[in-house]
Amino acid sequence: MSQHVVNVLLSGVFHASILFLVAAGLQVIFGVQKIFNLACGSFYALGAYVGVSAVGWYTAAGGPPALFIVPLALAGLAVGAVGLVVERGLLSFVYERDETFQLLLTFAVVLMMEDAIRLTWGTAPRSTAGLYLVYGQTHLLGATVPVYNLIVIAASLAIAVAIGWLLTRTTFGRIVRATADNREMAAALGVDLRRVYAKVFTLGTALGTLGGALVIPATAAMSEMGIELIVEAFAVVVIGGLGSMRGAFVGALVVGILRSIAISTYPELEMLLIYLIVITVLVLRPRGLFGGAAV
Amino acid sequence: MRHLSQATPDPLRAQGPRHNRRQFLGLAAASAALRFDVAPAQAQGEPVKLGVVAIRAGIAAPVGAAGLRATEWWAERVNKAGGILGRPVQLVVEEESNPKDTVERYRKLVLQDKVEAVLGGISTGVTLALGPVAEDLATPWLSWDGTTQKGVEETMPNPKWAFKSVDNEVEAIVAGILTPKYFKGIKTVAGIGNDYSYGHDCWQSYQAVLKRYVPDVKFVLELFPKLGVTDFTSHIAAIQQSKADLLMCSFWSGDATIIMKQAAAVGLFKTMKGVFTTAGGVHDSLKKEFTPEGLLLGYNTMYFDDPKGSPLLKQFVREYKTKHNEYPPYECDHAFFNAESYKAAVEKAARGGRQWPEKAAVVKALEGLEVESLSGRRSWREDHVQMCNFYQGITTHKNSYDFVTISPVEVVSTKQAMKPAGAKLFDWINGWKI
Repeated sequence: MSQHVVNVLLSGVFHASILFLVAAGLQVIFGVQKIFNLACGSFYALGAYVGVSAVGWYTAAGGPPALFIVPLALAGLAVGAVGLVVERGLLSFVYERDETFQLLLTFAVVLMMEDAIRLTWGTAPRSTAGLYLVYGQTHLLGATVPVYNLIVIAASLAIAVAIGWLLTRTTFGRIVRATADNREMAAALGVDLRRVYAKVFTLGTALGTLGGALVIPATAAMSEMGIELIVEAFAVVVIGGLGSMRGAFVGALVVGILRSIAISTYPELEMLLIYLIVITVLVLRPRGLFGGAAV
Repeated sequence: MRHLSQATPDPLRAQGPRHNRRQFLGLAAASAALRFDVAPAQAQGEPVKLGVVAIRAGIAAPVGAAGLRATEWWAERVNKAGGILGRPVQLVVEEESNPKDTVERYRKLVLQDKVEAVLGGISTGVTLALGPVAEDLATPWLSWDGTTQKGVEETMPNPKWAFKSVDNEVEAIVAGILTPKYFKGIKTVAGIGNDYSYGHDCWQSYQAVLKRYVPDVKFVLELFPKLGVTDFTSHIAAIQQSKADLLMCSFWSGDATIIMKQAAAVGLFKTMKGVFTTAGGVHDSLKKEFTPEGLLLGYNTMYFDDPKGSPLLKQFVREYKTKHNEYPPYECDHAFFNAESYKAAVEKAARGGRQWPEKAAVVKALEGLEVESLSGRRSWREDHVQMCNFYQGITTHKNSYDFVTISPVEVVSTKQAMKPAGAKLFDWINGWKI
């Protein structure tokens, strides 16, 4: 029994770890720029594909398998720079427009990214072969747990702590929070909104691409993988509260663990259960568990 | 063959990649021009246009690409040998996406491009819609992998112009027949498949067949994750908890690779047998590092490494690998068979002459026709359903690849594993003498 509980909880937390990174990217961008970035799932997929390629080059160059996570994470972070291109090249032109235009633009990015991925990596699923098992397995209360899953969970936690530190303990964080709170006032006090927006969007993108890169050894990259995750990320932000990082953290845990419990008990209810929670939150606490802005 | 109507939320992909079609027409024209240089006698013959509908986006894109590649290979080969009745083949490629848009493109192929026949169609969600359109437009349509089944039952039992793939559930039936042979003493079975018609139909068919061989078998868990899910760790936790003797899985895309990898990571197949009815569709991604020996693995209608494979198969596999750096999956065989049988039917209907036959005569010639395909001899049943062999076997690491292959190779004919024309599936299975 305890073995089953460990399996269910750990698989839920593993799922939550990835979900958190994508949802956190969504949150940080919405919190500051008030843009609901539909493309966050595409950035996740892009990170996954770039991760596969980076690990492929690393392996071909004879790098020790045990260190593959280094080029993987670096590639995931580096490709976050695409966020800067999207923000400066596209979004910066629609900040003054209606929110619907911004939403449509990020949706256009979703479609363009899917085609770009297909053109670059082809249509077949891509994976890092057996590297997932390089770190072996450990045993916890009778359950076999892949060590890599624990690494992903730890990495996600570390990133959550780092973001918390960045937003609350640094000058950049204070500026970001001030901008999120009142952008006109921040601008009046001398904050260069252009720079803040560019940095925040790149940060949000990098969280998604890093999430995609980190998950890839455990799965396979498919061009539509982002669309599947974005639906769950929406549930996370509604439960946690739009724009709240703490909300992303708790929301991801709620969705990840509930999904896992549902699959183990009443698999037919997997989505129903998550959306019941979403509806309950919307009815009883429309701003979400930690939300500042009305949803 | 897979019901994909739910899988392609596709206003997003409504517009086909026209540049691809144009590029392809350009290529086809170039190859035709090349032919004029080497064979002036046939240069008089106007090219025969064949329409192709191929999935290019979404989860079935690799399958669509494989079908298209095989059709191109066939066209190149036919053109080198002088075309069909002296006319070079020109392919006009359109995208298969959602039913509505695909029907529009299909109509364009017939009405505007004036193709002689249309090849292709994979998603049953789409081909269910194409069937009546093919009848309406009175032009032969030969479906690679799509049926006109609703669930496991046929909706167009007596078509005139539509030629359909094997029934969707055949590979699950084959797996159900082979399971008791290789996994004796199985008492409990868990199942996982995609949450759409193909996944559910395969699971029901597999259960019905296995129950005939092992009457006291218990089916203890069924899971149907959505198409496109990339994390099955929670599903695997549930499968572990079920403590089933065997897992039956009908995944056929990247999800087959993912579940294999995630199952290996928790040692699932150390205690559980595994049946993967269709994972041979992504066979070269099933790396030895995480795919154990001893699983039953299905390759649908073509096994690229068949030790008894024909010289044609060996040539195709070699050239496919050289050109695409992959080993070909089964869809190539469906596509090659369709194109090759169309050519044979035209030649048969021409009765040895050079006069291009009427479309209706070609359709008549197709009925019951048998030709050499990549996987061996294949034919059209009188009710326009493909007849062929299915290849399944036990996974082995004893090969020169970095992925698993199968040994021994079991070859089961659709004569044994597909319901006869007009039969109800479950009545037919329950009527087997075992």
